[in-house]
Amino acid sequence: MPKCTINGKEVEVKDGQTIMEAFYKTEEPIAHYCYHPGLSVAGVCRLCICDIEGNPRPQIACNTVVTEGMKVTNKSEKIKDGVKWVLDFHLINHPLDCPICDQAGECGLQEQYMEFGKYDPEMAEHKVKKHKVVDLGPTVVLDSERCVLCSRCVRFTDEVSKTSELGIFNRGDRSEIGTVEGKKLDNKYSLNTVDICPVGALTSKDFRFRQRVWYLKDSETVCNGCSTGCNVKVYFNKEGFFRVKPVYNEKVNGHWMCDEGRDIYKFLNKDARFTTGIVRQNGAQTEMAPGALAKELHKEIKAKKDQVAMVLTGQYTVEEYEAMVSSMVKEFGVTKIYHWVNNKESFDSFDGLLLRGDKNPNTKGLLQVLEKHQIKGVWGDLEAGLKNKSIKTLIVAGPENKAVFDNLESYVKLFSQAEHLVWLGAAKVDSLLSLNNKVSIVPLKTFVEKEGTFVNAAGLEQKFKRATTVVHEALTLTETAILMSGKNLTVPMAQIEKPAFLENKRRQDQVMLENRKKNEFVFKRGSL
Amino acid sequence: MSVVQKAGQSSKWYLPGIVTGLGITLKHMIKNIVSKKQMVTLNYPEEKYEYSSRFKGNHILTVKKDGNIRCTACMLCATNCPAECIKITADENPDPKVEKFPIAYEIDILRCVFCGFCEEACPVDAIRLGPEWQTPGLSGTNFTYDINHLAYRPSLKGGIQSHVDDEERHKEGI
Repeated sequence: MPKCTINGKEVEVKDGQTIMEAFYKTEEPIAHYCYHPGLSVAGVCRLCICDIEGNPRPQIACNTVVTEGMKVTNKSEKIKDGVKWVLDFHLINHPLDCPICDQAGECGLQEQYMEFGKYDPEMAEHKVKKHKVVDLGPTVVLDSERCVLCSRCVRFTDEVSKTSELGIFNRGDRSEIGTVEGKKLDNKYSLNTVDICPVGALTSKDFRFRQRVWYLKDSETVCNGCSTGCNVKVYFNKEGFFRVKPVYNEKVNGHWMCDEGRDIYKFLNKDARFTTGIVRQNGAQTEMAPGALAKELHKEIKAKKDQVAMVLTGQYTVEEYEAMVSSMVKEFGVTKIYHWVNNKESFDSFDGLLLRGDKNPNTKGLLQVLEKHQIKGVWGDLEAGLKNKSIKTLIVAGPENKAVFDNLESYVKLFSQAEHLVWLGAAKVDSLLSLNNKVSIVPLKTFVEKEGTFVNAAGLEQKFKRATTVVHEALTLTETAILMSGKNLTVPMAQIEKPAFLENKRRQDQVMLENRKKNEFVFKRGSL
Repeated sequence: MSVVQKAGQSSKWYLPGIVTGLGITLKHMIKNIVSKKQMVTLNYPEEKYEYSSRFKGNHILTVKKDGNIRCTACMLCATNCPAECIKITADENPDPKVEKFPIAYEIDILRCVFCGFCEEACPVDAIRLGPEWQTPGLSGTNFTYDINHLAYRPSLKGGIQSHVDDEERHKEGI
C-alpha cells in the first residue's frame, strides 16, 4: 500500500495502482481522454501528463504506477503549458462543428478546453478532411473528423463486449476509426461506445438530433428492463423522456448497460400510456377518474370475495407488492394471487455480462412478498378457474414495459375469459379496448414516477427515487390498494423545519439577489 | 409630489392666452398649405414611414446559394431567447455535408420582444431581424410564423442570402 502526494494531498493507494487512480481518489482535476476506469490503459492521448518530483520529464498519469513517497503535481507551469499544447494538437483537425454536434454541452473537448486550454490556435495549415456521417451499424453513427483517436471504443469492443468490430485504420493524420469491411458494429452493448466517446465522433442514432443536451434534466434510477437492475440515469424535460445512460455501480453493472435497456424510456412517455381510467361495458366506453374507478371496485371485490383472483407481474416495487398483497389477503381474504411469468423458456438465461432472460426488474421482490403471505398460486389453477367460470373478477397488474412481453395478446385473450377484467397498468394495450366483456382500466405510474425498491436477480435491494411525473392522474399500486380497500388517500403533511430554499443546495455560480442588483449590464441596459 | 396652484387674479385673464394659441395654430396651417414638404406629420395608412435598414423588425431566415435554408438547427437562438418564442425541430439531412437541418422553425411573434439575441447567437448568419415591422393580422391566428414564412415570404423575393458559406469556408481549410 504505497503512499503518495497528489498536488500536496497525501493519499494511500493499492499496490499496482496508477497515478491516475490516485488522482481519481483525491478528486483532483486532471485532463484525460483515453483513460477510462472500466477499460485497459492505452496511453495514447498524452493529456494526463504530470510532474513527478525527481523526474526531469513529465510522465503520463494513466500508465505510471505509484511508488512509495511519490510526489506528483499537475499544477506547475510546465505541465499547464504542456497540456495546452497537447490539446492544441488534438484540435488541429477537429472540425469544431459544435453547433450541429450532439455531444456539445457534455463534450470532453469543450470541458478540457475550458478547464486546461484557452489558447489561441496557431495552426495555419488546412484541416484534414475525413468521412462524415458513417453508418457503423444499426445503432451508431460515426463522424471521423471529430474523432480524437482515444481508442476507447476500440478497447470496449475488444475487452468488454468481446466482439472486436472496431479498429483504427490508416496512419498518421489520416487515421480513422472504422469497421472491417462487411462487418457492422452490431452487438448488444454497442451504445456504450457512444457513452464513453469523449467527443461527438460516435453518436446514437436513436437520440441523434432529438434534443440539445442542455435542455435535458437527469435523474438517477434503476433500469426496469431486466432483472439485472442496472443503475441508470434517465434524461427528460417537459416534452418527455429522451434517453437512458448507465451510472457506475461496482456491485451491479460496472460502467455499462445493454442496448435493450436504453429503450425503456419509450414506454414512459405519454403517447404510450393510459392517461385516464376507462370502463368498457357491452362495447360502450366511458372515461373516469382513476381514483374514483379504483374506489368503485371496492364494493365488487367485497361482494364477490371467492370469485376474485389477482395476477401480478414482476414490474412493480416491493412496497407496492406489500401494500397490494396484504390488502388483498387481510381486507378481502383473497388468496388467489398468481405470478405472471412472461417468457418461461428463456427466463433463467444470462449472457455473462448484464443481460438476463427474466425481463422483470423485481421478480425476486414479488416472490419474497408472496412467500411472506404464504401464497402459492399455480398458473394452471388460474387457467382452469377462468375456464370453469369460478373466477369472475380478475385483477391484473399488467406490465409497464410492454416490449418484453412478446405474447401479451394471447394472455389478454386468456384474461378476457373473466366476466370482469380489471387492468392496472401504465402501458397502453390496444387489444384491451376491443374486448366485449366488462373491462376497467386503472392507469398506473411508471417506475420513474414513484419511489421504491427493486430486488435484482442477485438478491440486491436497490432503492430509487422519483424523477418526475408524466401522467398526473395515474396511481401507484399502493394508492390503488388503499382505494380498493375502501379507504381514502391521505396527503402526507410535509414537515418543513428549514426553508425550502436551502443554503447548501445553491449552485456555486448562482446569482443571488444582492448581486443581481449590482449587475448593471443586465438591469440598466434599457435606460439609455 | 404634485404642486397645487391656487387660482389668483392673473389667471382670470385667459383671453390673451387663447388668442396666442390660435395664432400659432393658424401659422402652422398656413405653413403646411404653402409648403407641403416640410409638414412633420404623415397621412398614416396611405403614407408610411421608412425606417433605416438596420431597424429590428420581423425575423428573416436566410438561405444558401442553392436556395436551401441556412439554419443548421443548432438551437442556440432558442437557447438564448429570453421570451422563449422560438421552437425548432431538427432532423437529419440526406446530404452528409449538411447533416442537421430544421424541419420546423416557428417563431411566436406575439411573444417575441425583438431583442435581437437570436441574431447575436447565430453562428452561421441564419437568422436576422429585418426592417419589416407592420404585420397586422385580422384574427388572433397567423402570428406563429413558420419556416416558409420566415424564409420565403413574398416580400423577401425568394430569400435573403447568408454571408456565411460552408463551401468557401471549407476551401479556406476551416
